[in-house]
Amino acid sequence: MVTIIPVLREVTEANSLLAAALRDRFARQRVLVLDVIASPGAGKTTLLEQTIARLQGELRLSVIEGDPTTSIDAERVVAAGVPAVQINTGGGCHLEAHMIQVALGQLDVAESDVMIIENVGNLLCPTGWDLGEDAKVVVASLPEGDDKPLKYPMAFATARGLVINKIDLEPYIPARAAVLRENALKINPDLAVFEVSCLTGQGLDAWLDWIRALLAEKRGGAA
Amino acid sequence: MHEMTVTQNLLNMALEHAQGRRVAAIHLRVGRLSPIVPGSVQVYFDFLSRDTLAEGAELRFEMQPIEITCQNCGRPVDTPDLPGESAQAAMVGAFSAGCACGSRNLRVTGGVSFEMVSIEVAE
Repeated sequence: MVTIIPVLREVTEANSLLAAALRDRFARQRVLVLDVIASPGAGKTTLLEQTIARLQGELRLSVIEGDPTTSIDAERVVAAGVPAVQINTGGGCHLEAHMIQVALGQLDVAESDVMIIENVGNLLCPTGWDLGEDAKVVVASLPEGDDKPLKYPMAFATARGLVINKIDLEPYIPARAAVLRENALKINPDLAVFEVSCLTGQGLDAWLDWIRALLAEKRGGAA
Repeated sequence: MHEMTVTQNLLNMALEHAQGRRVAAIHLRVGRLSPIVPGSVQVYFDFLSRDTLAEGAELRFEMQPIEITCQNCGRPVDTPDLPGESAQAAMVGAFSAGCACGSRNLRVTGGVSFEMVSIEVAE
């Protein structure tokens, strides 16, 4: 005899439950948490370095770095002057909430105003896993093509911010920042879009103001 | 490539609900926009379920359609999404066309999760 047993549970519910617990923790600690998602080479770590350099002395930052292997990124961030923990995922294509929980054992988040998680370079898988963050941020560099939002729509649909990086290269390549922006806003009209060059520093002020505003919004809500 | 760990979760969940009985079938609902590839889940399941009470269980995948809702009028937006074709392309098509009310402010409201609906156990 065959019996049907109803389950009705999300298969990845362990991640969702843990992410919810992390979100509670970050709310109590009044820390703004950003999950940065991009293709490899889009400039995530350089954006972090620039952000750290410009917010130093104003906000306390910390970083969790996700990469398949090496601690190169964490070393770069530590050299920039903030505490960082490297997670090596091996063959893993994205970070999961339990990895963040382990990393927090080596990072005193209560001492931070803003914690930035740099996800594994991948525009597909990281969109499906909640890490307890306040916002996902996509970094898309212009040389990758201005059609990125059409090819990886879920990354743009689930993000709150988009940093278009390497705009200093626009004169030399066919891709256009305005087209990338338009394609991204088609998928997500609420996206906050920043056109920047992490090499020249162009456009970074608006990005920093957005981080300040998100932090104020979070702390205003918690007060 | 993340399907192996997801499949291990799935197997554990099924065995937990089976409470020592043999699992004959597992009914799964996969959002068309979820980052899960059913074919990969099947391959890993066949491997991971060996020597467990779920070995040989039939995986039944029910594809959950994309659901896109207009943020202006609140109505669902028609999203032609054909099996075998890219769900992402269907999503981009719907967002490009906009809602019948004229708004382009749309949001994905369904078709992103991966759920276990039920299991069948042999008594």
